[in-house]
Amino acid sequence: MTEATDLAERAGDRDPRIGLRAVSALRRLLEQLEAVQVRSARNQGWSWQEIAAELGVSRQAVHKKYGRQ
Amino acid sequence: MFERFTKDARAVVLGAVDHAERLHAETVEEQHVLLALLDREASRASFALMSLGLAERKESVEQALAEARRRGGLSRADTDALSGLGIDVSEIVSRVEEAHGEGALRSGRTGAGRGRGWWSGLVGGHRPFAQGAKDLLTESLRMALAQRDRYIGDEHLLLALAARPGVPAEVLADHGVTYASLRRVLYGGGEAKAG
Repeated sequence: MTEATDLAERAGDRDPRIGLRAVSALRRLLEQLEAVQVRSARNQGWSWQEIAAELGVSRQAVHKKYGRQ
Repeated sequence: MFERFTKDARAVVLGAVDHAERLHAETVEEQHVLLALLDREASRASFALMSLGLAERKESVEQALAEARRRGGLSRADTDALSGLGIDVSEIVSRVEEAHGEGALRSGRTGAGRGRGWWSGLVGGHRPFAQGAKDLLTESLRMALAQRDRYIGDEHLLLALAARPGVPAEVLADHGVTYASLRRVLYGGGEAKAG
């Protein structure tokens, strides 16, 4: 019984659908987390340049994404 | 296209905009359409929802949607997939809320679609529809066509919501409302297939 369950679980791990969904969900979660952190940094007076440097992107990229908020 | 929308369907789309405003969402999303559908009375969608026992469970649906918002809009299938990677979404939510206040993950960006489309004539205003909500309206047209209805009613919006993967369909299914059960109460047999 446990062997069958283990097998089913291991097979499930290799299911591309689960893996792809996890990646997609992680990407959305990442976007939300980024928005939270950028907002917080702005509220604390960080410049776009400073935020961009921490995120490892260009100043233009981060400003274009969050600038209007 | 919007001239094909019935009075009830227009009320749902307008209601969705109101809900988005009330919840301070940047865009109008599918969950707002579901909230607006729950508000309807004496429409085809409200009849279907009532037949499936949702009238008394409206608050429970609203609560489930609020929970999903708090998780940054991730569905349970999403959080299950992430827990398979060892990522505990509820843990992340509570840490972020500890540092940034309750509901901090709620107001993130949700990817508004670009430009104005035929729906903008329906609702006016400046709050854009998220891509998912636009796709939902398109899907409701498909639902109407599949049924050979010459109008788009709020029942087609509801069917489209139940048919599309995501938080609203998941919450509806948790309350016994699925695409199949909706077809059954709306059309009886339900042998006609939606494209």
